[in-house]
Amino acid sequence: MANFAVHASADSLSNAKPKMDIKDLSFFYGDNKALKDITLPLFEKRVTALIGPSGCGKSTLLRILNRIYELYPGQRAEGTVMLDGENILDPKLDANYLRSKVGMVFQKPTPFPMTIYDNIAFGVKLYQKPSRAEMDAIVESSLVRTALWGEVKDRLHTSALGLSGGQQQRLCIARTVAVKPEVVLFDEPTSALDPISTAKIEELIDELKRDFTIVIVTHNMQQAARVADLTAFMYLGDLIEAGPTTTMFSTPKDNRTLDYITGRFG
Amino acid sequence: MASHIVTAFENELRDINRKVAEMGGLAEKAVVDSTDALIKRDTILAQRVIAGDTRLDQLQREIEEDAITLIAKRQPLAVDLREVVSAIRICNDLERVGDLAKNTAKRVLALKGEYQAPTLLRGVEHMSEIVLEQLKEVLDAFGARDSVRAMAVWKRDGAVDDLYTSLFRELLTYMMEDPRQITMCTHLLFAAKNVERIGDHATNIAETVHYLVVGEQLVDERPKSDTTSMTSVSYPQAKG
Amino acid sequence: MDRGLYRRRILRNRFHMTMAVATAVFGLTWLVLILAMLLIKGIAGLNLAVFTEMTPPPGSSGGLLNAIVGSLILTTLGVLIGTPIAILAGTYMAEYGRHSKLTDVVRFINDILLSAPSIVIGLFVYGIMVRPMGYFSGIAGSVALAILVVPVVVRTTEDMLLLVPSQMREAAAALGAPRWHVIRYVSYRAAKTGIITGILLAIARISGETAPLLFTALNNQFWSTSLLAPMPSLPVVIFQFALSPYEDWQRLAWTGALLITIAVLTLSIVARLLSSKRTV
Repeated sequence: MANFAVHASADSLSNAKPKMDIKDLSFFYGDNKALKDITLPLFEKRVTALIGPSGCGKSTLLRILNRIYELYPGQRAEGTVMLDGENILDPKLDANYLRSKVGMVFQKPTPFPMTIYDNIAFGVKLYQKPSRAEMDAIVESSLVRTALWGEVKDRLHTSALGLSGGQQQRLCIARTVAVKPEVVLFDEPTSALDPISTAKIEELIDELKRDFTIVIVTHNMQQAARVADLTAFMYLGDLIEAGPTTTMFSTPKDNRTLDYITGRFG
Repeated sequence: MASHIVTAFENELRDINRKVAEMGGLAEKAVVDSTDALIKRDTILAQRVIAGDTRLDQLQREIEEDAITLIAKRQPLAVDLREVVSAIRICNDLERVGDLAKNTAKRVLALKGEYQAPTLLRGVEHMSEIVLEQLKEVLDAFGARDSVRAMAVWKRDGAVDDLYTSLFRELLTYMMEDPRQITMCTHLLFAAKNVERIGDHATNIAETVHYLVVGEQLVDERPKSDTTSMTSVSYPQAKG
Repeated sequence: MDRGLYRRRILRNRFHMTMAVATAVFGLTWLVLILAMLLIKGIAGLNLAVFTEMTPPPGSSGGLLNAIVGSLILTTLGVLIGTPIAILAGTYMAEYGRHSKLTDVVRFINDILLSAPSIVIGLFVYGIMVRPMGYFSGIAGSVALAILVVPVVVRTTEDMLLLVPSQMREAAAALGAPRWHVIRYVSYRAAKTGIITGILLAIARISGETAPLLFTALNNQFWSTSLLAPMPSLPVVIFQFALSPYEDWQRLAWTGALLITIAVLTLSIVARLLSSKRTV
């Protein structure tokens, strides 16, 4: 088992280079320091899972990576997060440009109140002006990628709100990948879904990591163990430990990590 | 270590461990009794060993079922998962130990009325004592989650193998010298082999304890010095 | 469980249930009586002439055509002036200025405006438009009605936009959409039925208003579609005719009241249907 762990981690990390590099990152909600000097590389075309108890800062960290926190006043990040040689926290870097490279999928499925087709076209139209035929092709390929095409191809022009929760979430993923980002952030993407839908999303994440760098926040430790190549454990705003998932779930170095993953937390 | 948030999880793990401990006690006793029965030619004791094996088999089944249920219900991770996997492995080893003791006990019944030479028994008795010590030690190491003690047991298994090889040689020589002892010696040879294999199971348990505590499999090759498969004794040359 | 306790609970439950039903019936009775009265008296005077002839001088027959058309013009114009302002204000409050002091102030003032007596608004417009211009006019009436529309629509627009889950906005922003784009294509779409409901309710409210028109659009016995002249409207005609001693005027007042009631009822029902169908 441990042999397996060594091989798996070697395999998942060999020839992987950091896509995003988080260095000495701190985050403040007003005067409250929510993240404390986080340093963590996010490897290219690998899945990194952020785990930890509620309020540990894992979602906060995720929301810095596409600067979505800027939608709300009184929040501030310090430190650097490098993406392709640029510090994304630099105010001169346009947030919308950043978000075209770093997509995000949320906890609750958030289909827009429009047709399935328009949900995907929405993001695409922000960056290009494809012809009708080109747009049709983009919509189809995005839906095929997310294994939704067969289920919705006959009702592309009906409201996306008529889909089931799991389908809605896959639509949100399709919508995100249609924009061709480089990094995709998942904020507890399956916590509102049933086990079958969850399995489909996990399968999808496994598929997507061929083309995207993926960061996923999850409360479900088994899910982190299943989908992630690397796992980072956070607690009270600190990054306690990060490493290959197999090691993190078999022989973590820090006792707090061990207590958390084995369900012994105070 | 802090206890689990879910009390039932804690209780289920403790239950499995309790059953493994019970198996350990029963297996030790089976080894002691089977050797005793052999030395003293005590068929009643031997019968008891044979009958006692059922309980070991039953416990092993229970532990496996409990472990499978626990995995399904709790999805244990890290040290918890190793606890469960270790319990399954150790209970398998202990069940085999029980079978080997039972096999020796059956031979006691077969030897009833055979010619008896106490000197022949001493080697088996000695070996059995050492193996029993190993078994006790490794079960204690398991109870204390002490990988250092477990590794000490693991390293000592070579001595048992050496002892077995020399006993093998000795018994072969006896058989050549006195064909009337062939039946007895053959049975003793098998009894010795049983003891030697009990020693192997003790080292298996030691490896499991190491895995349980350290979290990694032992990759080194175990010190093996059972060379009986390559041992032969030349027939005494007729003087002429 | 204690049987006695259980029995007492059942009795108490029955008692409260009876009281609640009784008070509801009491309230509804008056509404039914009013509607019945309106139907009986209104239908009596309902004929084709109501829709084809002008308001008559006392003692002769006529209809309500000029008043109906005047009401339609005043209401439409009032909504056209008030709604865009109100939607923009509501949008600011819910989308841009959600955490700002200004929003709190605007909301407070809007709530006062919402409950201000409509005659005060009529007087206000009289002061700022009729007096300086020197004559009563349709446009002044429209402005008065627009001022009544604004607080209703501001309130519903803000409320409906606040109901749009912030995750939906985040999702749109996460795709790289600029703020105005998110509001225009996502927030409005999600809040659409709610906002339309608000506008319908505002129309229902202003279509029956008399007080703000008395000082602004006044009335006109004749056909007039000029916004710069006094303009007739159903509520004012009803007000005037109902108070008059002439029977045929009173009959026309009943009919006009019936028409307004039907219009308001229809708008309310449509609004109710729309809001129950809300999807987001």
